[in-house]
Amino acid sequence: MKEAKKKKLETSIGGSISALGASFVYSMTGLFLAVGFWVARNKFSVDLVSDPSWTLFLLWSIEFPVVVIIYSFLRKDPQKCSCSKAVGRSILGLISGAFMNALGAIALGAPIGAQYIPKTIHWSFLMSVFTFVPATAVLGASLTDWHRVFASMKPSGNIEYMILVPAYGAVVGGWFGAWPMPLDWERPWQEWPICVCYGAIGGYILGQILSLCLILFLRKDKNLKVA
Amino acid sequence: MSTEMTCTRLTILTVAGIFLQIIGLSIFVFGFFPVKPTLSGVSGSESYRHPLCDSSPNTNESEIHPEKLRLLYEELSSITSRYDRLILMVIDGLPAEFVLGKDGQPPLRVWKESMPYTQSLLANGDAIGYHAKAAPPTVTMPRLKAMVSGAIGGFLDVAFNFNTQALLDDNLLGQFLRIGWKMVMLGDETWIKLFPGLFMRHDGVSSFFVKDTVQVDKNVSRHLPNELNNDDWNLLILHYLGLDHVGHTGGRNSPLMASKLKEMDDIVRTMHLRALVDRSHDQGRTLLIVVSDHGMTENGNHGGSSYEETDSLMLFIGLSSNISDYAGATNNLAFQVDLTPTLALLFGVPIPKNNVGVLVPGTLNSLRDFEQLRALELNSWQLLRLMQAQLPSSLFGSFSCNCFLEGTCEGFGSDISDCSGDKEKQLICLFRNAAVLHVLWKSKKLTESSAVEDFNRALDAYNTFLKTASEWLASKTTEKPVLLLGLGVSAMLLSCVVCVTLFLSLFKEVYNGPKDQICSLSYLLNLEGLFILAVLLILVISMGSSSMVEEEHYIWHFMVSTFYLLLLFKTVKSFSFSRGLNSLGEYKIGSILLLLISGRLLRGWHQGGVNWTSFPDISKWLEQAGGSYVKWVQLISSFLVIGLGVFTLFRTGWKRKSVRIQAFGFSICGFLILLHAGIYQDGMFEVSTDNGATVTAKVIYLLLSVSAVGGALVLPWSMQNKDKSFLAVAGDCLYLIGSAYVLCWCLLQLLLQQPINSGSILLLLIQILAVSCLSSKDVHVNGWIEIAALYYMGMAGHFALGNSNTLATIDVAGAFIGISSHSTILSGILMFMITYASPLLFLLSLVMYIGGKLKNHSVLAHSDTDLGQLLKLKLGFPCLVPLCINSILLTAYTVVLLLMRNHLFVWSVFSPKYLYVCATTVCTYVGVCIVAATVAYTLSVTSFLTRKRHNNS
Repeated sequence: MKEAKKKKLETSIGGSISALGASFVYSMTGLFLAVGFWVARNKFSVDLVSDPSWTLFLLWSIEFPVVVIIYSFLRKDPQKCSCSKAVGRSILGLISGAFMNALGAIALGAPIGAQYIPKTIHWSFLMSVFTFVPATAVLGASLTDWHRVFASMKPSGNIEYMILVPAYGAVVGGWFGAWPMPLDWERPWQEWPICVCYGAIGGYILGQILSLCLILFLRKDKNLKVA
Repeated sequence: MSTEMTCTRLTILTVAGIFLQIIGLSIFVFGFFPVKPTLSGVSGSESYRHPLCDSSPNTNESEIHPEKLRLLYEELSSITSRYDRLILMVIDGLPAEFVLGKDGQPPLRVWKESMPYTQSLLANGDAIGYHAKAAPPTVTMPRLKAMVSGAIGGFLDVAFNFNTQALLDDNLLGQFLRIGWKMVMLGDETWIKLFPGLFMRHDGVSSFFVKDTVQVDKNVSRHLPNELNNDDWNLLILHYLGLDHVGHTGGRNSPLMASKLKEMDDIVRTMHLRALVDRSHDQGRTLLIVVSDHGMTENGNHGGSSYEETDSLMLFIGLSSNISDYAGATNNLAFQVDLTPTLALLFGVPIPKNNVGVLVPGTLNSLRDFEQLRALELNSWQLLRLMQAQLPSSLFGSFSCNCFLEGTCEGFGSDISDCSGDKEKQLICLFRNAAVLHVLWKSKKLTESSAVEDFNRALDAYNTFLKTASEWLASKTTEKPVLLLGLGVSAMLLSCVVCVTLFLSLFKEVYNGPKDQICSLSYLLNLEGLFILAVLLILVISMGSSSMVEEEHYIWHFMVSTFYLLLLFKTVKSFSFSRGLNSLGEYKIGSILLLLISGRLLRGWHQGGVNWTSFPDISKWLEQAGGSYVKWVQLISSFLVIGLGVFTLFRTGWKRKSVRIQAFGFSICGFLILLHAGIYQDGMFEVSTDNGATVTAKVIYLLLSVSAVGGALVLPWSMQNKDKSFLAVAGDCLYLIGSAYVLCWCLLQLLLQQPINSGSILLLLIQILAVSCLSSKDVHVNGWIEIAALYYMGMAGHFALGNSNTLATIDVAGAFIGISSHSTILSGILMFMITYASPLLFLLSLVMYIGGKLKNHSVLAHSDTDLGQLLKLKLGFPCLVPLCINSILLTAYTVVLLLMRNHLFVWSVFSPKYLYVCATTVCTYVGVCIVAATVAYTLSVTSFLTRKRHNNS
């Protein structure tokens, strides 16, 4: 109940969010990521190393509803666009984002054997939840906005920071996460996509922290300017 | 550095820098990989004759019956062999400390109690043990080679020994085979790799599963009862790996160590009781030797040169030595290589040619006096032969043959001089002393009864000479001249600094010139530029890790694809959606997507490297699908290469006659190549040595070189256009020449490479065309970034063609296409061209790139620019980029190799990689030279013609 109230409060502000709200959003996403790991470990007794595709599926299917619900409340133009529409477009965003992520991963050298296909698919769904889903929920299909936020990196407002920085964090983290793969340590986690997942999740969380810092810093900056 | 640098000065400085680099590199290579003069061939009966008197021609001993040969050797050596069977038990990784203790102290209680039988043998005087110092690298294969050949191997003779691991040098096992011994090998399969087909029976176990400490030894011991009952072998080799595995998993103090030592002790007991004690009456006698190939550190690792690792064991059981006290049996020092001459002399075979070891003192006590001295003499002669190869013959000049035989050297008399002076003279003098004393003893033996003193003097003199000579010879093969290495590295560092300084000063001029429109800091140091520099840094860092060196292709592919993605990002960023998509943008995105796709296909073409070579890839998939698919790939890619190349040629100069002739020539070549592939390459990898194939290949070489060189020489003269500016004409011309180069190189590679690689050649050509499209369409990427990216793409392509950092992937078969007689130089050049196909292709495409830039530039620039200035900015700068990158990588890797000189994998991973780095350096020089010559020639010809036209009009 309390959560719902809080969300309503946020929506009433209309597309902007305080640092406190942002940290609440982040803790919710982080919490459900942890819940995903917990469910995988305790209910199904699998983890990323033993069964990556099943674990990844659990992770993204638990994380996805949370992200969709939270970011749909933060959507642009809440008057014009209904909440259900935001949910619908974020499902489309999930699929197209997964496609883009899978293409990117394959371009960077993800293996394309038959046994890797489910792993790649589930990994790209998880990446899509980190990157595309919040953006589609908030921005919709406006190419201009996407270009402004992601390509020109000129976000306006706290919400766009919350979309941009963790998304890039996840991508860059995944990129760095691929580094240990060719080493001959003979560890099971060096397989695709396990360490890339760890890297992406780490980068995502770092991105969240960074965006929180940015939000706090920018607000201070604004206050100074006003003063 | 002055602000204004003239073209001449730049050229002189660059050439000076390159020469400095070449000199530094050769000094370093000469210092790091000493080319030791070794003797080729196999020791025979001549080893029983004095090296300075050896005048009789060598009879062909390989035709003598083994048994006769054995008798001949026995007669020549005049040493009767006490033994007829040998059991060599190798316990991998057993430090001598476990059995013999350290510094005169007995071994720790836990170790001593684990091996009760061996300790009792030592205490009773039935066994004598030695701390046998092993030479680094303390890994199994080089140690085994050292034990059986007595030589300390160099790197380059391994490197030049391309595909085989077999030991081809003179060695004990080969000598035993020649006298008709039957050999049985049980244990580590390294032996089987070293001596393929030599063993009568063998059962190899793999050392791959380090976790397995039990089964690996059971697999050896299970044959032991049978083999001990058999009579048919002369040499039984047992190689137990379990102890090394125990060490790797748990270190010296592993709880498994005691039980493993007990197991080894039981095996020693079994063999001693069954083979030595029970059988010693009826048949001949058996000698049991327990050795270890190396020791281990506290943590159980090995490979380096610490005392713990080099302290290996040599234990003789069954020698009737006169030692009865425990200290005397355990407190002995020797070298690992000493095993070779000792065994050779005990079993009556010639000592292997390149042996640097000496007889282990104390093993000969069972021999009679004259036999002992004769054995020492034979050992000395063998070392003297080896020294003869390394010393100037003038040093030996003062000795005549008779001097040694008769003991009457002129000028020396029969007195003993105390030897001093430099090492070489000292060695000769010591040998002379020993020989003189030996002769003295021989002559006195018959007349006087108390010759014991003389005998001991001769013995001591021989031992002194052998010890000194052995140390001198061993140091010759392992010492690294610090001065040379330092000089080489500093020369390379200096040249690297020169290159980078030149680059930076030109960089300032290129991007801060008044004509340039954008010169903000963000333009100079953008994301791509930072990324290119980061790639350089990452490469340098990753070279320090052996697995990253083995799997280097992952880095290149990953970095190059990331660069494409960054380009894509940049292109998308430059869109403005308010005005909608324009065709230029789509064109650019299309090119980048083409780059990405072809890059991914290239990455999947060959699963290179070391650890994951067995993973599926496109080439394996095609080969499994059948030869006809490979043929189809070859056919289609050849057609597409010809088509794309001719299209590129015509796109710029459709109307010119010379272009049409050139295109015609290339098409002919293309069809000849298809013909060659279709008719003569029937087997998948076997290139037929048919005469027709050779002739066709020669015609293709001729046509290609005439088209490329002739085109480059003629085109600048024929391309004159009054409507266009000087720069546009030169740009057009260079673009044409560049595409002719690229096409010519691709066609050549289609001929030379394995059929499976023709697909990769096509993809590389597509990449080059896509890049040239991109750079002509102005991507807002700095010139130097584009050139650096070309270099990186060339390296990624190098690995996509199936190359790796091991010497095993060099395609030797292709190096004989079109060569009728065997020529090392020609096939070496062909091998180089095959291996460096991709980097050279991308370097050649620099001509195209420069042409394209000149064309673009001609729109902006003034019509009359100074030729020198033009050459400096448009040619010097692009050429400096690959030179700089290469010189940084070369210098960094040289430093890495120096730091890693004691690493476990220095000879197996780092040194082959260094050879590749050197070859890449040569490749860069060649490519840059071709580019510089072509561009300079074209620009000067065009400017000359333009000036003439101006004067005429």
